[in-house]
Amino acid sequence: MWIWQAITGALLLVLLGVHMVAQHFVAPTGLRFYTDVVAYLANPWIFALETVFLGVVITHALMGVRAIILDLAISEKADLLLKRVLVVVGVVLFIYGVYVTGMIAF
Amino acid sequence: MDNQTTWQKIWAWIDYRGRREGGIGFILMRLTAIGLVVYLLLHLTMLTNLARGPEAWDGFIHLVEHPFFILADAVLIFGLLYHAINGIRVGILGLGWGSRLQAPLFWGAFALTVILTVAAVAAIVSIG
Repeated sequence: MWIWQAITGALLLVLLGVHMVAQHFVAPTGLRFYTDVVAYLANPWIFALETVFLGVVITHALMGVRAIILDLAISEKADLLLKRVLVVVGVVLFIYGVYVTGMIAF
Repeated sequence: MDNQTTWQKIWAWIDYRGRREGGIGFILMRLTAIGLVVYLLLHLTMLTNLARGPEAWDGFIHLVEHPFFILADAVLIFGLLYHAINGIRVGILGLGWGSRLQAPLFWGAFALTVILTVAAVAAIVSIG
């Protein structure tokens, strides 16, 4: 698990950097106005970037949540349940995030 | 450890007493992780607000211009930078490199976090 946390963490350093630079420095007015946000998200490259970013950040976050809970020395059965719950939460958050972003952009 | 209650276990990993740099770095990593997970959920809520249209977005922008949100931004930036920079330190140590330098690396990561947070907040305040 540690290695996946490290890999997604390294990916996030790149993706978060691109996300921040694109949103705050490349986009005109730093996305302060609604029309600028819509135009920004409607760019297919930006939409793809934000989708990948969302997937990686959710994966990294939920693996981190599991690591924190594992520190409480839970049973194997509880860990199995926890993994299933976190996968469901992750998939729901990802689908919801992509759906809402798509609604705004297209 | 097994006889401890859940609250005692939670307290054990935020109790900084008697810990050195590695332990303090670990506690801060955990606390910033929890804060960033909460922020991720808030960020998705903000996206929902954006989907409601221009009025909802303008109302949100007006709200976050309040000085409280500048303070909240500063806390967020600190947490994000610390988590990222200390994460690089943890990754380096995890690969078996620089274990003898882990304490100076912690203080270096902490100092860099503070410097970059101050610079970012100064940029936000100057932009307005």
